[in-house]
Amino acid sequence: MQLRAERTVPGVAGRTAVPAVSMHKVSLAYGASSPTRRLILEKITLDVREGEFLCIVGPSGSGKTTLLRIFAGLVQPTAGEVRYRGQLVSGPSRERAIIFQDYSKALLPWRSVIGNIALSLEAEGVRPAEQQPIIAALLAKMGLERAANQYPGQLSGGMQQRVQIARCLAQHPKILLMDEPFGALDAMTRQALQDEILALSREQHMTVVFITHDLEEAIYLGDRVAVLGDTPARIVELIDVGLPHPRDQLTTREDPRFLAHRHRLFGLLRRA
Amino acid sequence: MRSIDPIKIAALGFALALILTWQVLAELRIISPIFFPSPSRALSVLVARVLDGSIWTPLVATGLRMLFGWALASLVGVAIGAAIGSSRLARDLLEPTLDFIRPLPASAMIPIAVLFLGLSNAMSLSVIAFGAIWPVLLATVHGFSSVQPELRQVSDVLGFNRLAFLKKIALPSAFPDIIAGLRVSLAIALILAVVTEMQASLPGLGWEIFYAQRVYRSADLYAGLVMLGVMGFAANHALMLFERRVLRWRNLHA
Amino acid sequence: MRRIVLGSILPTLFIAIWEISSRSGLLTLESLSRPSDIVRAGIGGLTDGSILVATGQTFETALLGLTFAAVAGIIAGAVLGLSPVLERVVNPTIEALRPIPAVAFIPLALMMFGFGVSMEATIVAYACLWPILIVTISAVRAIEPRLLEVADILEMTFAERLRKIILPAAFARINVSLRVAAGIALVVAVTVEIVLNPRGLGYSLMLAQQSLRVDVMYAQLLWLCVIGYALNALLRNIGPAAIALSRASR
Repeated sequence: MQLRAERTVPGVAGRTAVPAVSMHKVSLAYGASSPTRRLILEKITLDVREGEFLCIVGPSGSGKTTLLRIFAGLVQPTAGEVRYRGQLVSGPSRERAIIFQDYSKALLPWRSVIGNIALSLEAEGVRPAEQQPIIAALLAKMGLERAANQYPGQLSGGMQQRVQIARCLAQHPKILLMDEPFGALDAMTRQALQDEILALSREQHMTVVFITHDLEEAIYLGDRVAVLGDTPARIVELIDVGLPHPRDQLTTREDPRFLAHRHRLFGLLRRA
Repeated sequence: MRSIDPIKIAALGFALALILTWQVLAELRIISPIFFPSPSRALSVLVARVLDGSIWTPLVATGLRMLFGWALASLVGVAIGAAIGSSRLARDLLEPTLDFIRPLPASAMIPIAVLFLGLSNAMSLSVIAFGAIWPVLLATVHGFSSVQPELRQVSDVLGFNRLAFLKKIALPSAFPDIIAGLRVSLAIALILAVVTEMQASLPGLGWEIFYAQRVYRSADLYAGLVMLGVMGFAANHALMLFERRVLRWRNLHA
Repeated sequence: MRRIVLGSILPTLFIAIWEISSRSGLLTLESLSRPSDIVRAGIGGLTDGSILVATGQTFETALLGLTFAAVAGIIAGAVLGLSPVLERVVNPTIEALRPIPAVAFIPLALMMFGFGVSMEATIVAYACLWPILIVTISAVRAIEPRLLEVADILEMTFAERLRKIILPAAFARINVSLRVAAGIALVVAVTVEIVLNPRGLGYSLMLAQQSLRVDVMYAQLLWLCVIGYALNALLRNIGPAAIALSRASR
């Protein structure tokens, strides 16, 4: 695996602390015991630091979603190990919330917005009386108050994705795994949600792993960006973004450092 | 005052025209009045029997038979269907056998049922249940096996055990399919209720019609048919209203 | 492969237990017979032709009724599908007649035709008419309007329109409804025979039960399962086969 030397950024918290999630030489092959064995991921080694916003970019079909599922514990690697805060990951957990790209399939169409958010609370055994204030706070935070009693089928794509995020937040996750969450949305909604998720993660000091095929989105959002490429997929590049917060859709995207990253990684994506 | 839809008037007119043709044919005795009483006579018999109450007992008898058989079939069908639909092993073990038994006409079970249970209500109920179980069973299997995989993953991440998953996610997800199956099952239950009544001379509308033919009381025969149609229509309609209410989230759009 | 193996576990177990317990005297119900006797009765019925004759009778009547229903249902369905106004006028009458179970008409048909083929075929036709009619109406309604405009421009007669445009366009869905109707036809035919018509498989089933030849009865039930299964399999492949044939002949 090729992990290029990182440019160190002084003052980033938790540099020597236990990483939130770490992968060590993780590989995944389909059809492990059959002759048509296909290696999807090869010897991925990657640490996700506590509180950081890590973006993983790669072309479609490069195994990004599979990688995220391994982070979540939904898929077991065929080689290597995944650790969450030092402990081996053997299955999914509420602390690693995952947000799917296809929101319509991840929400319960027969429950209202409130009902969908309540699902997470039910899993934790929160009593209905105590659920109310928690749900109300989340509705306010995600701007869903007016849609509270509507069904997912009545909402726009952006609103549905907000509901999914709200439901994940209700899990009190320690790490948010997002699978191209804004890919199916129009540009304006996408930008609004990008800023919302940035504000949310900074406010709650949440660790986020964000998958996308949109390079600019990755650089805009991330503290670090990993490029996944080649077949079988490897981490081809890992950079520190080093841009100041809060980020701004106009000025950050015109920042020379932003453009420099973009130039550098663009070529990598094409080659990969 | 709302203007009356001309189409509705035309529809009424069409039905009346058919009935009128029937009346004319009967009056002209083109077909023997023994087989083909005029609608006016059939209607008067029907009204008389409604008024004197003699139509309600058989109606209720058939209705209860249909409902009990359907309820039994639905409970068992959903239970088995949920088990099969959510477990690949159960599906592989059971489906081939079920596929083989399924094409059997439920009425073909009547001889066996008579052998074991005689000409009784138990016989009728078991035949109805045997026939009515298939649509709801198949629909339930389909509903449970087509739960979105993403929802399965959400459930795993949230830590729901199997029972909680089935109750909170799989069952509601399968509801639309199950209810569709229930409607077909109800129709089949009615058909088999009528058949078993005819076969075993059990009280009910089926038997009324059968007997009316034996004694050549054709007006009573038609009266029975009309009541059967009313009951079938009402039962289906009631279920449809229930479906609309339970699945109201389906009809809402952005 | 795994499915065949796993799927045969239950039936094999069931048959084995049944045979063993009836031979060992554990099960002494006369109503139950035993698998070996049933198989023997079945082979007997096949070799002396009695089962086959009865099957032929049932199929004959079912096919007759189905054909009537198909012709009437498709033509009426096409007419009503093309004219929404007409459909709405006729619809309440359809909705009023449809819920009446076809089998309820058995006594009436008996009065009009007496025992025999006509009576049974009529009931089958009534039962099969509704699914075919309703599906045809909806399939014709869904035909791309452009195609119908082409028919207008070419000044086609109704028959030509039906043959060249409507039926091919609506074929897939009508085909499915015919498959469903075929299943219904078989079931209804057998039912009428069980209730009172003295011919066909249903009647021989009742005969076997009444003369307490339980082994023959079970054998015939098994036979019914077999032909029902074979019919479904056949019909499932007829659609695609017919399409392939019509493509090849062009």
